[in-house]
Amino acid sequence: MKEILRRLAYLRRRNRFNRELDDEIEFHVQMRADELEKAGMPQTEAVRRARREFGSSVRMREQTRAAWQIHWLEDLLSDLRYALRALRRNPGFAAAAIFSLALGIGANTTIFSLTMEFLFSQPSCRDPQTLASMQIGGNSHAYMPHYRFLRDAHIFEGLAGSNEESESNWRFGNDTYRLQVMRVTENFFHVVGVPVAMGRPMEPGDGDVVVLSDRFWRARLAADPNVLGKALVIDGRPYTVSGVLPRNHRTVLGFGFAPELYLPASRESDIVALIARLPEGMSMRAAYARLVAACKQLDKVYPPDWGPGSSWANNVEVVPVAGMERLKSLNMIPFTAFFGMLMIVVGLVLLIACANVSSLLLARASARRQELAIRLAIGAGRGRIVRQLLAESLLLALLGTCAGLVLNLWLSGVMNRVQLPLPIPMQLLIQPDWRLLLYSMAVALVSALAAGLMPALKATREGVSTALKLTDRQVGGRWTLRNALVVGQLAVSVVLLTTGFLFVRNMTKVMSMSPGFDAEHTVWAYMRLVPEKYTTVEQNRSVISNALSELRAMPGVGAASIAGVVPLNDNWVNMLDIRTDLNDQPIRLRFHNNNVGPDYFRTMGIPILEGREFVLSDQKGSPEVAIINENMSRRLFGERNPVGHTFRYTAPTLSAPVTVVGVAKNSKYFTLGEENPLALYMAYFQADLSTANLHFLVRASRPQDVVKEIAQTMGRLDASAAIEVKPMRDAMGFAFLPSRIGAALLGSMGLLGLALASIGLYGVLAYAVSRRIREIGLRIALGADSRAIVGMVVRQSLSLVIIGVAIGLGIAVFATRPLAMFLVPELSPTDPATFLGVVGVLVAVAVAATLGPALRAVRVDPMTALRYE
Amino acid sequence: MAQESTIPEFLPGTLYMLVLRTLARGPLHGYAISRRIKESSEDALEIEEGSLYPALNRMLVKGWLTAEWGISENHRKARFYQLTEDGRRQLERESSQFDRLIRAIQLVMRSA
Repeated sequence: MKEILRRLAYLRRRNRFNRELDDEIEFHVQMRADELEKAGMPQTEAVRRARREFGSSVRMREQTRAAWQIHWLEDLLSDLRYALRALRRNPGFAAAAIFSLALGIGANTTIFSLTMEFLFSQPSCRDPQTLASMQIGGNSHAYMPHYRFLRDAHIFEGLAGSNEESESNWRFGNDTYRLQVMRVTENFFHVVGVPVAMGRPMEPGDGDVVVLSDRFWRARLAADPNVLGKALVIDGRPYTVSGVLPRNHRTVLGFGFAPELYLPASRESDIVALIARLPEGMSMRAAYARLVAACKQLDKVYPPDWGPGSSWANNVEVVPVAGMERLKSLNMIPFTAFFGMLMIVVGLVLLIACANVSSLLLARASARRQELAIRLAIGAGRGRIVRQLLAESLLLALLGTCAGLVLNLWLSGVMNRVQLPLPIPMQLLIQPDWRLLLYSMAVALVSALAAGLMPALKATREGVSTALKLTDRQVGGRWTLRNALVVGQLAVSVVLLTTGFLFVRNMTKVMSMSPGFDAEHTVWAYMRLVPEKYTTVEQNRSVISNALSELRAMPGVGAASIAGVVPLNDNWVNMLDIRTDLNDQPIRLRFHNNNVGPDYFRTMGIPILEGREFVLSDQKGSPEVAIINENMSRRLFGERNPVGHTFRYTAPTLSAPVTVVGVAKNSKYFTLGEENPLALYMAYFQADLSTANLHFLVRASRPQDVVKEIAQTMGRLDASAAIEVKPMRDAMGFAFLPSRIGAALLGSMGLLGLALASIGLYGVLAYAVSRRIREIGLRIALGADSRAIVGMVVRQSLSLVIIGVAIGLGIAVFATRPLAMFLVPELSPTDPATFLGVVGVLVAVAVAATLGPALRAVRVDPMTALRYE
Repeated sequence: MAQESTIPEFLPGTLYMLVLRTLARGPLHGYAISRRIKESSEDALEIEEGSLYPALNRMLVKGWLTAEWGISENHRKARFYQLTEDGRRQLERESSQFDRLIRAIQLVMRSA
């Protein structure tokens, strides 16, 4: 190792070394001469004799230098220098190649960065490999008493809990803001080892303290340097600021989830997701066994309430917080698959870019064939010349990678800044790191080989004599390789374009899809109360009825109601055994449920097909009623009209009968892509529902006009409540997001692939024309008209396009099949309209790429052409 | 590489050992090294300059020697070579190997 460093040091000061070696030889000779002189020889004679004795200093110098040299490195450097000179002589060629590669590599490394950030980013914590997130009894979150039982069982080094779906009202001046907060157990920071930038983390016994995110501290508190120790009024109580998180804080949950505050999960009603610090060396399997054993103990103290035979030890999950293991856990598979697909797509884009460079290199190699032949003839080894040509593509790849990385940094910055319409705050922290560096180096090397190896081998394959005899102009039939490249490019870009097209069509389909309710004429007014202020159901009910009557009295408002969840924004799903009065055999159904107030269906514009909707008299104490959607009706009652029939839940205990009073038309509940979902609505005021989160829905002919007034009206009801009012159309952004992201990413990749392939097509055609100028000139001189000349160019172009498209379509039919998992069910990957569109676009672009070369061919002047050499 | 051409006529591989041994007593410049070897061997061993300097440089690369410019006994600028710790260890290794080899050769010669 040190030896290499010494050799590298030599490389830097070669000139000085040579000078010193000369000095040393001179000294040696002088010493010998001195000696001879002492022995009685005259001075000049002595010096001459000494030199003769010394022998050939040239050879000795060569050998001395050889002791220091790293041959391959010096060769490489000289090859690169040579390549740089060659590129400088052909700036157009170099620019085209570097531009192609920069686009390909920029897209590729950016998707790589994004994938790394989403799937492999390290959460801000100590030793992530000994952290595990856990689930018991199949529940994502555990109740506080259960959490405390497991914590005090001391089966791990530490057990903490967090709830990421928590909200709080922050009173600041005269305004109240709803904040997304992370509620964590007091030991969370200690167990997980979350670093803070300022102050100190939350510690057991701290009481009401809050840890701020960097974003909250900067954006909302103007980066107040004296914030520590100050109090924030959250949900009506003062919380002392104990610390501020660093700017690059990543939550254990990942995915860019960025809560504004960390608060203690101190309320008995809190539920927490479990996270454990495993003792050094404990495997996930061992941790699982311990947790299962502890859950069996938990069963004795807190028996699970969902029926006989149930146990907290069922459906226990122990998953690492980072790395590959996490990705294998079930709910991550769609994400992993999506990013896997993106990586394949950008790999193909890069392949097209490399083919462009390959094609350019081939063109250049045939222009340089005489030079290469001469060098072969005077004794350069084929390996040496191949190496030299590869150095040229390596240099191109390195320059392309540098340019691509600039593009990467810019795009990453854009992605970090982008604010997505999500119900929870999100912040990406994509930063260049060693992984990106290594990956780019690998990409550069692979592209250099992919682009350069084939042209280099081909350029040196021919015998010296044939190459020397042929002049540039006489070379015929050398198109095959470049043509094959273009055909390949076109085929790959057909695949990319098909993918992009599918996702774009998916988006338009989703955007135009009816959610089954009237999103154009509804307003969503979200009122979050301070839970501590409304301790009884009566208080809760009275604020709701006050709000509803105020809303209904407003001009421009047609109807108003309340719901437990707003469709396409949040989701309640149940899996229960249900028995009807027509059938004794219970069936297990998975269905969406919602608690909705009177007038909900009128407000949302969801038609009631049979029976009635909820009314004010559906109150606590009156017989329980429900409204089901068509799918649910069919599953429970077949083709019968279910109105008036009853059903019961059979577990944990047989429930009282619930009467179906209405059937609502099917609509969308959580995602636009969902297929035939079942849905059950219960009456809002019949349920034991006392929540701080009130979702009012308002029907208005012009939603935009009433938004402000609704906010003011509701603000007057309770100043400590956080109020957000928006037209339903705006609130649908979340539902459209996946399809929009898919369309944006894959659509742009498809276009990029197409652009690169069309550059390739243009290049080949333009080159073909320039090589056939003499021929074309001759034809024109012999009387060929411009139609024939254009036809000649177009024929070549068309044959390439047709073969490329045919191959591409053949591949695309199969390659896009797995994409069905990302698309709405109404859209089939093999939809002929998609392929038709792709072919149309490709042919249009091909015509554009053919136009330039064809015109050039027509404008050939026969006189100049025949003299052209 | 051109390894063979620099090996002295006598036993292959011994040039490094001789130079290291010569430098064990203190830093010397190239000319003095060859002088010293010639004298110590009573003129039996003469190091060719064409071999000496490449060998010295190879030893510098390996880290057995360091070189420094200084002033020679007759006030000329000269490059002095000095043994490093690595060089000293290498000398021990080589001389013990050499001893074993010589003993083995002697054993064969006597028995035959």
